[in-house]
Amino acid sequence: MRILVAEDEEDTLRFVERGLGELGHNIIAANNGEDALHHGLTETLDVIILDRMLPKMDGLSVLKRLRAGGVTAPVLMLTALGRIEDRVDGLQAGADDYLVKPFAFSELAARIQALGRRLMPTAVTTKLHANGIEMDLLTREVRREGKCILLQPREYRLLEELMRHAGEFVTRTMLLERVWDFHFDPQTKIVETHMSRLRAKLNDGFAQDAIETVRGVGYRMRAS
Amino acid sequence: MRLLPRSAARRIALVAFLAYAAAMLLLGSAVYWATHAAFARQIDSSIEQASTALLAEYRDDGVRGISEALTAPHGPGPIALGTALFNRDGHRVAGNLDTQMPAPGWQRIVFLDPLEGPDPARAKTTALTGGYRLVVAADLESLESIDSTILGLFAAALIVILLVGLTGALSLSRYLQRRLGNIETTAAAIIAGDMAQRAVQGPAGDEFDRVAASLNAMLDRIAALVANLRQVSADLAHDLRTPLTALRNQLELLRQIGDVGKAELIDAAVERADDVLALFNAILRISEVEEGNLRKAFAPVDLSALATDLSETLSLLASDGGRYLNSAIDRGLIVTGDRELLAQAIINLVENALRHTPRGSLVKLSARRARGSVALVVRDNGPGIPEADRSRVQQRFVRLEPARATPGHGLGLSLVRAIAEAHGACLSLDDARPGLIATLIFPERILS
Repeated sequence: MRILVAEDEEDTLRFVERGLGELGHNIIAANNGEDALHHGLTETLDVIILDRMLPKMDGLSVLKRLRAGGVTAPVLMLTALGRIEDRVDGLQAGADDYLVKPFAFSELAARIQALGRRLMPTAVTTKLHANGIEMDLLTREVRREGKCILLQPREYRLLEELMRHAGEFVTRTMLLERVWDFHFDPQTKIVETHMSRLRAKLNDGFAQDAIETVRGVGYRMRAS
Repeated sequence: MRLLPRSAARRIALVAFLAYAAAMLLLGSAVYWATHAAFARQIDSSIEQASTALLAEYRDDGVRGISEALTAPHGPGPIALGTALFNRDGHRVAGNLDTQMPAPGWQRIVFLDPLEGPDPARAKTTALTGGYRLVVAADLESLESIDSTILGLFAAALIVILLVGLTGALSLSRYLQRRLGNIETTAAAIIAGDMAQRAVQGPAGDEFDRVAASLNAMLDRIAALVANLRQVSADLAHDLRTPLTALRNQLELLRQIGDVGKAELIDAAVERADDVLALFNAILRISEVEEGNLRKAFAPVDLSALATDLSETLSLLASDGGRYLNSAIDRGLIVTGDRELLAQAIINLVENALRHTPRGSLVKLSARRARGSVALVVRDNGPGIPEADRSRVQQRFVRLEPARATPGHGLGLSLVRAIAEAHGACLSLDDARPGLIATLIFPERILS
């Protein structure tokens, strides 16, 4: 993916550039708001990472001008403050996701991956398939290799998130945000607990664990 | 040049003394002038009366009548009067007043007292027909003697009063200095580093004692804060040292070992680092909540829905740990606040109950309306918290087991308390006999 990274902190910029580069992404770096706007308007980009505080022009203004200029690439806002109003401001200005600094690299990578996928034409899907698992979003029926699996609402939502991003990592934080609507870390094992229930129900009678866990990173639905 | 002394106590005393002296002078002068004026008026009226009587004689019997009246012995009055009748040549033809003929009207004259020589007197001279003049005069000696008596008495009194006032002022100033010195000495000792020093509190309960008491209370509060801060720093250092040391050792091990098991070690190291970050996040979160800036984003929150939702989520957590969580939540409880903070508070209270009770324990989450407020209650049937420790556990890093063996940072309840305060709610911990009952009481949002 071609990714614009607008960040004025040298260290953060270098570490994001290097990390995303190793994952095979093509990075365009900008260390101030005007450059970021220029690149954003002239380059074809898959994802834009925009720091909220940038010299010359702040991230929010850059974002508003990009959107006004017809740029539809998904934007991930980086913010030093985890305050609710900052998040709301960012989302209202047209950001697609946000991340509080300092962040773990795996968190950024997972979110970029998820944002990048939004580019693909999204026909209204009513069914999700992955790894022999079938989810009917209308009847809320879940089957693995034809075997019907009964899930609690939360477990169903967890599975849906994993299925929508099959083959990609979904972090604990992303799950807290999307399944529980918690934009903070409650420092409790609710994700782990629900995940183990879900896993037990999914894997009952099957040899292969459908969900892969990487400690410190997140969960991934095996693609096949 | 300094007009006033440097010491405030002396200044107060000096000003009080000067005011006192000025008041005395004012009072003395007023008494003197009032007495003097009253006496002078009395003299004038005696002269007037005598004059009128003599003029009546004159109207009846002419000069002969007056002369007879003048030679006749004088009735004893309160004021000694002298009289004289002068002819047109200015010779005294009758009367005992030995003086030159004055001009008509009121004036001050000098007469020759047969015993004392020339004396001042107050006189009224009336012109009669045929060039005669009648003079009635009163000796001013008595007035002067009254004046001088008053002045003398007053001077003596003033000296005594000034002496008493000065002594009073000096002792007042010394008293003030002594009482303030107590506080000053304490402050100086604290500055010098003796934090245990306290001001002496008298039994009177007066202003100085109250200042001393306030000072002591302030010092106690500061001492408690300093002690808490010291404890927090020490605990923080301890809590950080353990995972950081483990992290360091894991990294060291990573360098030594081959590829086998490397991934596990890296995972473990990442987890350690996440632990440290989680601790810092928890600390920062408490500070953020305590700052109170979050209030701006407060909105009505359906506490019933939130609690029901969380009880479902948390009951899984409970059963994984071999405990039971059940709930009794009234419908339609609305409070003003931040949904996520309230969720955090509920999670922390329930987790706390799950963590500090033995397996098989029952934890009950309930929410109900109670007299215009909303009560959120988490009750367990575990060992509870001794009464003496109940307020202590709400402080940061306080963990009741000295070994600090149970996972957690000792921040859970202090975050709940901070969240409660931000919502205008109060957190109370009570004995559930057996177990702990934690109650959060929120003011209910009035739907208008």
